[in-house]
Amino acid sequence: MSLPMAIGGRLVPAVLTALLLFALSAASVQAGALNVVTTTSTMGMLAREIGAERVEVRVLAAPDRDPHYLDARPAFMAALRRADLLVEKGGDLEEGWLPAALTGAANPRLNSGRPGHFRASDFLHLRRSITMDGPNLGHVHGEGNPHFQLDPQRVAAVAAPLAARLGELLPADREAFEDRARMVSARILEHAETVATRLDPGQRFVAYHEDIDYLEEWLPVEIAGYLEPLPGIPPTARHLRSLADSLRDGPEGVVLHAVYQPARGAEFLAAEIGWSRQALPMEPPANGGLEDYLELMQVWAAAFQAGE
Amino acid sequence: MRWHLAMPAILFVAMLNSAQAEDPLDISVSLILEGIYYQRLSEGNEEPAGFGHDHGHGHGHHHGHDHGLDEGFNLGHSELAVEARMGDWLEGALMLGFDDKNVEVEEAYLRTLSLPAGLQLKGGKFLSDIGYINSHHNHDWDFVDRPLFSEFLFGHHGLQDVGVQLSFVPATPWYTRLGVEAFQGDEDEGIARFDDGIPVDRESGPRLFTAFAKTGPDLGADHALQLGASAGFLRDHGRLEDHGAHGHAVVGDGWFAGVDAVYRHYAGRSYGHGDWRVGGEYFLVSRNVDEYLQGHGGWTRRGNYTERQDGLYLQAVYGFLPRWEAGLRAEALGLTNRVVDFHPTRLESLDASYRSAAQVTFRPVEPLFLRAQIHYDDFAHHGHDHGHDHDHQGHGGSGSGLGFLFQINVALGAHGAHRF
Repeated sequence: MSLPMAIGGRLVPAVLTALLLFALSAASVQAGALNVVTTTSTMGMLAREIGAERVEVRVLAAPDRDPHYLDARPAFMAALRRADLLVEKGGDLEEGWLPAALTGAANPRLNSGRPGHFRASDFLHLRRSITMDGPNLGHVHGEGNPHFQLDPQRVAAVAAPLAARLGELLPADREAFEDRARMVSARILEHAETVATRLDPGQRFVAYHEDIDYLEEWLPVEIAGYLEPLPGIPPTARHLRSLADSLRDGPEGVVLHAVYQPARGAEFLAAEIGWSRQALPMEPPANGGLEDYLELMQVWAAAFQAGE
Repeated sequence: MRWHLAMPAILFVAMLNSAQAEDPLDISVSLILEGIYYQRLSEGNEEPAGFGHDHGHGHGHHHGHDHGLDEGFNLGHSELAVEARMGDWLEGALMLGFDDKNVEVEEAYLRTLSLPAGLQLKGGKFLSDIGYINSHHNHDWDFVDRPLFSEFLFGHHGLQDVGVQLSFVPATPWYTRLGVEAFQGDEDEGIARFDDGIPVDRESGPRLFTAFAKTGPDLGADHALQLGASAGFLRDHGRLEDHGAHGHAVVGDGWFAGVDAVYRHYAGRSYGHGDWRVGGEYFLVSRNVDEYLQGHGGWTRRGNYTERQDGLYLQAVYGFLPRWEAGLRAEALGLTNRVVDFHPTRLESLDASYRSAAQVTFRPVEPLFLRAQIHYDDFAHHGHDHGHDHDHQGHGGSGSGLGFLFQINVALGAHGAHRF
């Protein structure tokens, strides 16, 4: 037997033995708690509040990162491999990395169409996006605006279907999940109303990306324009000038962008038209609960009181 | 494969798209188009010593530092990719690679979606999962061209062949993926090369077997790391050298082994600003070959030799502005470079070849990038006097060459997710 054959002859059994040992050592059967992986921390908050002690939640995207531009890193694949339930926002938000991470995770429980794959956007009407009608520029927001965590009403609307899904996976706890979902969504809606009534109505704002415009859905504020000419297209000088020209003589407002979006264009526009500028956190902390989300709603609303 | 075979595929895609409009089939189509401008700034050695794939004297295309590119405009390497799911069971993928002259089925495979215990089975034509860059398509590369080790040890497309793969992802806290592959070993160049006219019958397929392991710890939001090791063995390999009045053949089997590592730092700023990507791979190939000499009375077997060749690269890319990055790559080929040489037949130890490259990439929008790259080759000169080499060109005194590449690459349609 030649050297390569000998190596191959030893290599293949060695690899197969290693595979077997791994398979035996890593029992994937969940004792007790359901292993839930969510793409963003708002979804993690919901899963944690509704599932309580019956779930173990891992959030993939750090709250201060742009969820459009993550990559399918090994740690994500390891988390997905062990998950019983994946909660994604959908609306193509995670399109750039989640499919690749799922392929690498080799976990059929999370196959799309199975109860282990929950896509929040399936249960919502997303805000219409300009990219749905416009020319194809890389499918950003092709299914509508996926950044609905900035609208508490939509976040509240995800609670019931998520509870139903958890109930499907843990039938014994279904009622407990449904009760908690009702409570969570009631708290969120009530708080949204309280926060909204405190604001002077009619304020205007400019958002960097098609995301913060969701504030218009629940606060008495109006979107006046976007720094990006189209979602995913960086602000151009020409676009900023025409934006400034259209806003300069109107009532005052505020220029808003996410903490992970570049401040340059926003600074330029704010200086040009004499508005204030604010960088907003977009998600609660990675291990955050309901209180953190309620607090975040106040932070968003406070952006409109800064100038007062 | 020629255009008349590609046309039905394109029509098929058009049909799929029209079907997609009415019925949300789980199918995605993407078209990746590339253009490359190439300019040689100074002439160096044509090919790294010991890796001369062009012993057929003018047959087969040479590729040394020209990457198979013409000076001036090139269509580069474009791709039409179709991926579809068959319910919960299978996923199919077809990738046609093309330039202005040829169309080739790069990948056409089925992959299981529902095997238990983290197992996946893949079959068809596909890129092997050995190493890091081998399974990545060029729109995911950090440089315009394939690293030297990949091209000269594994072939123009890397290790891409017809076969099956079984992989296993255990449910461990650290990401781990293990796999074994069996390939036909039918590529006409590269690691499974077997020239026509070799005086020995080929082994029956499958002729190439590999195993790979990848692992990556969880390093939090700012860092990611993946380490890999791979190995394989080859049941036969055969090269023919025609010297007109007589010929030489070296025939045997071989094995290879390699390691790879990729580290990424995420600065958490916008569009990759402040991010780092650092990676490298090393591969060693060993072949145990017999030499045959062709005389008037047919072939006679002579000595037995162990050839060994290796290659490596190290690269780093930094996002110096939002949407802008710059990178450096250093490569060596044939640090170990022992190959059979003729007249007299012996195992010769040849010099190593080196290449360094620097690139700047601008990505105005996610699906599109523009890249400028300059590379400096220092290819070893084939040591001794080639009496039969007079029609080769480029064996000048200077071993070094300088080249400039400009690449534009755009992904249209349902652009697939980026793998790590």
